[in-house]
Amino acid sequence: METDEGLVKKTLTDGNHHYGILIQRYADYLFGLGMRLTSGNRELAEDISQQSFLKSYTYLKSFDTQKEFKHWLTGIAINCYKDLIQKENQRLPIDVIDEPVYKSNLEGNIDFFNLIKPLAEDEKIIFTLKYVYEYQINEIANLLNLKPGTVKSKISRTLDKLK
Amino acid sequence: MNQLEAIIDKEKGTFYSQRNKDLFSFYTLTLINQEQTSRKLNRNLCLFLLFSMGSLFFLFSPINEMVKYFIVYLSDLTTVDIFILATFSYGFLFVLIALFRKQGRL
Repeated sequence: METDEGLVKKTLTDGNHHYGILIQRYADYLFGLGMRLTSGNRELAEDISQQSFLKSYTYLKSFDTQKEFKHWLTGIAINCYKDLIQKENQRLPIDVIDEPVYKSNLEGNIDFFNLIKPLAEDEKIIFTLKYVYEYQINEIANLLNLKPGTVKSKISRTLDKLK
Repeated sequence: MNQLEAIIDKEKGTFYSQRNKDLFSFYTLTLINQEQTSRKLNRNLCLFLLFSMGSLFFLFSPINEMVKYFIVYLSDLTTVDIFILATFSYGFLFVLIALFRKQGRL
């Protein structure tokens, strides 16, 4: 099986049909991440995964092949999620801003979605990456452009909230 | 805490899958191609505009002198000059056509 880095190089030299393999490889992973972050909203999760692939293709030249493609893609997906949330919040009228944003088309582990529902967006992201995807503190810090200490304190604050 | 761990463990075991991965992949690649084409078109348009502006500037700024020069030049033209001019013009046209054909634009 061709490595991700090899496929990236081939995409840049041979054309974007090689990128299709990467899309197939990570479509479910990004969709799953999107589902978890959006508390099971399939449409938004699909949007996030699609936007992530589009954005990652645009910036493919800047991808450092020494790093892991999956991590790089995860960082892009998180940024797409933040952008999408910002847009969704801007669309909402002021009087319903406190209402839960996503409530239609909920699928998956409802207990988990209910668990992370009261968390702030960045807490949701950090909690999901740390406990579901088992990312290390340093990796999360790199993905979110935060200091490892900040990530640690956010995790402990999140755990306090959830207890 | 045990309940929290149980929920997380259950979530770790949950697998989410796209409705139709092939269609998703095809559609995403189509969007990528579309974006690339649109970017290329914009770039070509910008180049064309820049080239047109440059040409217009070149043509209009010393236009009087050029017209005078051209009229004087035309009045001095001999048959040989006309033949040379025609040869160069057609030669240039053929080179352009060959170039465009090579690039697949014709």
